[in-house]
Amino acid sequence: MSTKRRSRRSFLVGSFTGLNAAWVAANYPGILAAQNYVRKSTEAGQLPRLAVFTDVQAAEVEAMTVQIIPSDSTPGAREAHCVYFIDRALSTFAQDKKPAYLNGLEDLQAKTRELYPDASKFSALTSEQQIKTLTAIEKTPFFEMLRQHTILGFLSRPEHGGNYNKVGWKLIGYDDSLNHKPPFGYYDAQQS
Amino acid sequence: MKKYSNSTEVDFVVIGAGAAGGIMAKQLSVAGFSVVVLEQGGWGKYGREHEYNKDEWLQRNLSDDDRLMSDPSKQRNTFRPNDKVKAIAGNHSYGCVVGGGTVTYGGSNWRHLPYEFREASHDPTIPSGTGMADWPVTYEELEPYYTQAEWETGVSGLRVDSPFVAPMSKDYPVPPMPLKSSGTLMKTAAAKMGLTVVPGPLAIISKPYMGREGCVNCGICSGYGCQVRARSSSAVTMFPIAEKTGRCEIRVRSYVREITLDNSGRINGVVYFDAQKREVRQKAKAVILSANAGESARLLLMSKSSRHPDGLANSSGLVGKFVMFGNGASASGLFEHPLNEYKGVISGAGIVDFVPSDPKRGFYGGGRLTARGYLTPFELGLGGLSPGTPRWGAGYKKALLEEANHRMTITCFVTQLPLETNRVDLDPDVKDDWGLPAMRITSSAHPDDIKNMEFFRKKSIEILEAAGAKKIWAPPVAESRNGAHNRGTCRMGNDPKKSVVDKYHKAHDVPNLYIVDGSSFVTGGRNHPTLTIEALAFRASEHIIQSAKKGTLLTRA
Repeated sequence: MSTKRRSRRSFLVGSFTGLNAAWVAANYPGILAAQNYVRKSTEAGQLPRLAVFTDVQAAEVEAMTVQIIPSDSTPGAREAHCVYFIDRALSTFAQDKKPAYLNGLEDLQAKTRELYPDASKFSALTSEQQIKTLTAIEKTPFFEMLRQHTILGFLSRPEHGGNYNKVGWKLIGYDDSLNHKPPFGYYDAQQS
Repeated sequence: MKKYSNSTEVDFVVIGAGAAGGIMAKQLSVAGFSVVVLEQGGWGKYGREHEYNKDEWLQRNLSDDDRLMSDPSKQRNTFRPNDKVKAIAGNHSYGCVVGGGTVTYGGSNWRHLPYEFREASHDPTIPSGTGMADWPVTYEELEPYYTQAEWETGVSGLRVDSPFVAPMSKDYPVPPMPLKSSGTLMKTAAAKMGLTVVPGPLAIISKPYMGREGCVNCGICSGYGCQVRARSSSAVTMFPIAEKTGRCEIRVRSYVREITLDNSGRINGVVYFDAQKREVRQKAKAVILSANAGESARLLLMSKSSRHPDGLANSSGLVGKFVMFGNGASASGLFEHPLNEYKGVISGAGIVDFVPSDPKRGFYGGGRLTARGYLTPFELGLGGLSPGTPRWGAGYKKALLEEANHRMTITCFVTQLPLETNRVDLDPDVKDDWGLPAMRITSSAHPDDIKNMEFFRKKSIEILEAAGAKKIWAPPVAESRNGAHNRGTCRMGNDPKKSVVDKYHKAHDVPNLYIVDGSSFVTGGRNHPTLTIEALAFRASEHIIQSAKKGTLLTRA
């Protein structure tokens, strides 16, 4: 196992049995191929490879997503693999947002150092410190973009890398069968 | 599919493949005429509708081929509230695909009520100085065509006997969609308040009809193509029949820039840009303009000639004027138990008691309150939580989990006074992606429209209260600036000085031009325009076929 792979695993919850064969088409823009890849990886219980972020960047982004939708008694952005959704997005539909992410991460680093001069990086802060840091940047376009991408990653179709095992959908009670019969809810059930 | 060469003079060119264009193409080709339909947009998933997906992330990142609505960054448009200010970039968008807006709309298919055709002469609440006028057609004249539209396209609903609902000569072809929890709650409130709840008539079939399957209540509905073909769009109802005649050719990605005339003043064809933006000329004996109110008016204004220096068919100077985009109001509430509103169609039951204008209110206005506004997972997560909830963190997550599926929204569709100062014209500076003048929208609401929206906003809150909502909120009312419900830019009338088309949609100024779409609307009704567009189109088609067979429509006099 390579160092790179170990470090990638180090920021993720759960154990995985190593990565699949090479993701040869990291720069391939076809979204269907990307979806298929994510689907196959998921089926095989494996994590997709990062297409855009380095492991260090991914760890920082993931730490931010975890503060946006925290894990508590129920799963959050970490378990939903929101960082993978964002990584996929930056290699496909949101390619144009890549510079904004890279610049935003630099600004995050700067804000982290400003507030906590001893800290090496955002993901190394305590949860309380992370919340303070994010509160300091919550009006920035970068934070808003990341906030939205985290939510989308939490609730998108799993083919796009996030909503792993449909944890997001399960939490909001969304049934994705796309085929429903009445009664739909409590009140129409009472009536019928 | 039949292919015509550009030099073949076809009987009809139909510009626009939406609600009206589909009916015109089908009626004319079935009647034996050669027809070329020119559509700005693409095919969508025409004929392979099962390929439509319900993927919200893909929906936000559509390729040009997958777009079902126009793209304001290409079909550019500008907006200004009045003539005194310079227009800025706008985001007006409309159905832009074979089937037009009917491919993606919520499907509300209310008829106009009989008195909505003669409000100007009968309604004492109408303020002076507006463009309110009686329609040159009556409800009684149009009623058979409403029925035809309901039965030929497939509308689900319940025929009710109420002064607030248009009388029907025949039932709907299929029963209404199932009542959702929002409808049940509306009934609870209505019982307390003495109001009338009616299932929303929808262009979504509840049961198999005319070879199509019934709705499966998949729940990601409005804005998306229907993968089971239950939404009765013209792409699954009209165009397949037109194609089968072997006389109708549909050309997509065909952006018409001018309707041209011969020396005698008759239309002899159209000029359009094809997918590669090459200029193509198609000869035609007559033209049916069904491009929607905004686009039809813009094309007429672009088709200037020595005979028509202010734009084609515009001797009245009214082309583009009296535009109405559709006013609304809404309120939302949270309830104790889950409603699961995301399942099923977007538009459910409606409260209809406030359809008429009432002198006691002190202003002109009426409308319907509809249970409408489910939330998809993205909509819930990004903007669906009640005001005051945190935007991120533990508080956000808590609200997300607690509020999911507990929300109900009432959306009101209400009147809008036609004003001559509200209009679409050609922007003097901005060009679209084809190098043509962008559509410029000038629009400000009449004070009565604002009062009316405020009335419906408050009424929505009262209904949610009576239904037992735990928390209620309602965004401030805002006047409409653009949108797919655009109507009124080529109003119909008997007087050529006060209208653009006659009661059969023939342009007063041009012998072989018919304008058949929402542009003909004299007044806006209670907003929901599609079924009336369709009824008018069926009626117009009958007249056009007769004129073409027995009259001089297709021949030089």
